[in-house]
Amino acid sequence: MISENEIKKVVEQVLMELGGAIKVEKGLSMDSNTDVKGCGEEEDGLPDITTIDLKKQVLVPNPEDLAGLLRMKESTPARLGVWRAGPRYKTETLLRFRADHAAAMDAVFTDVSEEFVARNDMFAVKTMCGSKDEFLTRPDLGRMFDEENMAILKEKCVKNPQVEIYVSDGLSSTAVEANAEDTLQTIIQGLKGYGIKVGTPFFVKYGRVGAMDAVSEGLGAEITCVLLGERPGLVTAESMSAYIAYKATVGMPEARRTVVSNIHSGGTPAVEAGAHIADIIKIMLEKKASGLDLKL
Amino acid sequence: MIENMISVGIDIGTSTTQLVFSKITIENTASFASVPRIKIVDKEVIYRSDIYFTPLLSQTEIDGEKVREIVEMEYKKAGIKPSDLSTGAVIITGETARKENASIVLKKLSGLAGDFVVATAGPDLEAIIAGKGAGASILSKNESKVVANLDIGGGTTNIALFQNGEVIDTCCLDIGGRLIKLQENTQRINYISPKLRKLASDINIDAVEAKAMEIQQLRAITNKMAEVLEEVLGIRKSTEALKYMLTGQDLKRNYKIDYVTFSGGVADYIYSESDENIFRFGDIGIILGEAIRKSSMMKSFQIKKPQETIRATVVGAGSHTVDISGSTIHYTKDLFPLKNIPIIKISEDIELQEHTRLSEDLREKIKWFHQEGNEQQIAVAIKGVKNPSFKEVNSISQELVKGMEDFLKTAYPLLVVVENDMAKALGQTLYNHLSYKKDVICIDTIGVENGDYIDIGKPLANGRVVPVVIKTLIFNS
Repeated sequence: MISENEIKKVVEQVLMELGGAIKVEKGLSMDSNTDVKGCGEEEDGLPDITTIDLKKQVLVPNPEDLAGLLRMKESTPARLGVWRAGPRYKTETLLRFRADHAAAMDAVFTDVSEEFVARNDMFAVKTMCGSKDEFLTRPDLGRMFDEENMAILKEKCVKNPQVEIYVSDGLSSTAVEANAEDTLQTIIQGLKGYGIKVGTPFFVKYGRVGAMDAVSEGLGAEITCVLLGERPGLVTAESMSAYIAYKATVGMPEARRTVVSNIHSGGTPAVEAGAHIADIIKIMLEKKASGLDLKL
Repeated sequence: MIENMISVGIDIGTSTTQLVFSKITIENTASFASVPRIKIVDKEVIYRSDIYFTPLLSQTEIDGEKVREIVEMEYKKAGIKPSDLSTGAVIITGETARKENASIVLKKLSGLAGDFVVATAGPDLEAIIAGKGAGASILSKNESKVVANLDIGGGTTNIALFQNGEVIDTCCLDIGGRLIKLQENTQRINYISPKLRKLASDINIDAVEAKAMEIQQLRAITNKMAEVLEEVLGIRKSTEALKYMLTGQDLKRNYKIDYVTFSGGVADYIYSESDENIFRFGDIGIILGEAIRKSSMMKSFQIKKPQETIRATVVGAGSHTVDISGSTIHYTKDLFPLKNIPIIKISEDIELQEHTRLSEDLREKIKWFHQEGNEQQIAVAIKGVKNPSFKEVNSISQELVKGMEDFLKTAYPLLVVVENDMAKALGQTLYNHLSYKKDVICIDTIGVENGDYIDIGKPLANGRVVPVVIKTLIFNS
């Protein structure tokens, strides 16, 4: 077995070589004086390869049926038609792969901005995790609040709300920043239409899904709904889910949660998810059940 | 979740009347934890009726009572009750496609046909329906080819071209197997259509009613008819004859045709020879088929067999007219079915610019439909936004409400059809902006154009989706 450190070393070495290769190439093009304009552009930064829509990118030279390949790509986020350099990926494919992986890492390690919390008229509390590292290594602490934070919740929130909706970073702050605002506003509007009262929204830092059970018990909510960033992948780092439960209690079976997943620009649009969640909450209140007990 | 709906298709054409029942299967294809995504996963024809000669009172007037008898009998044979049906379409095609006939059929079939659609198919719609029923649409999609389907019936030849499953062109010609009717077992003309008489005289054949014809003369006429088809497909220089044989617009011929399929009653005699009496139907259908089989069309194109020949139109009507909406839609009351609702579509470039001009555009267009004392249900169609923000949904909603001001005073619900997936959010927002006082129906994943009509059936899959039939009456406009 190769240790993680050894892998790191190899990757570092490869990257160094790769960096060297790029430098050499650039030097060549300068000498031949063909790419002077390109140099000027680079002062504004390199082109952002993550802005390329992978579903529309075909790297196969002279494809037999370009339209057919594009239609096939339209039906999947998988990286089809990337071609190869010898037995390996092309540089562009490799870089994109690494860039997407980096975005996934960033999504986990960045924090939801204070500006986001303020813009949505929320206040912030945190679970018992003291840092991102602790949050990642101690899932149990991410489900609990200390007395201080619970006191803030109880003080600032409407008691015994029909529906308590809050937002939590989970494993992707990027997902929360990208979707939570639109989804939250749409749910609140939808519920208003059904004459259902919504409690005080807030933000929970270092939150796992299970923190909703503590929130539910602490506030005495009939329904609790958390909008939470999902573990990012290479397709998107922006996927958010809603977990909804009727009278959630600490230690209840996971099967009592209803999930609406895959909320992102390439999945279910944030507003459509919000409108759908409003409907689910309405049904949940009528049937007084959630998760597997609730047949939607 | 798997759910079936039964759909009926009834085709009343110039020469034949047929009926099929289809089973359309819908299923939630999304995973357990996702927002539902309900799709049509299977279409299967479960019953095919006999093929009847269309009962006529005169050359152009349908005998509604006889049609009703046929339909009733076939329901009984198939063991299907009107209440089993979720959707369907009655298509009146060819020379019988007239408004009066549609209202006769509608009256006679009401109760039997339940809530389904009666449409007099314009030649373009007929071509599209037949092409879909023949399988040309799906063939073009599966093989990435341009496929032309020629539906050659008794009265007309309806041509539809498909690329990647989408219609790219249509046209209609007065070429059909029953445009000359012959006395049984002789070659004496009982009836000849005026256009065919002209075509015959162009090749110096005097074909008039009551005249006995030589076989060679009839073959010369059908050869000429096949030549006109070669002209329209672009493999023979077009002549004056093509111009007058077309009932409307010509084909654009700005694409390369890969495959040709033939459907309609004549098609069976293109694909295989008839060794029996070639005039046994008392018309020129069989020899027209032979003329086409011997024409250069067979060498110039790759000829494919269709899934259906004589039943293409009726199968198209039964299986391929209905679609289902997106799975996140919003309606405040079950006001379905809604039928024959005209579409008012907002110009896409206006939508792309600023939403503020949306209401102006709408107000202008609504005038065409909404005149005082003559109010009717209309549907507003927009393309919408992919992954919109809450703010965008709100501004679109406000503009729609503003633009529909006059219409909102009527008793009709506000009906909005969106192409992008945003109907549930938009529907809830509209309802909010209307102070929860006006009923709202907002459906998505449906692409429509100005001039289309929409039918919306009773909700399916626990109210999540509605079956939708789009009637494109004007195609090449």
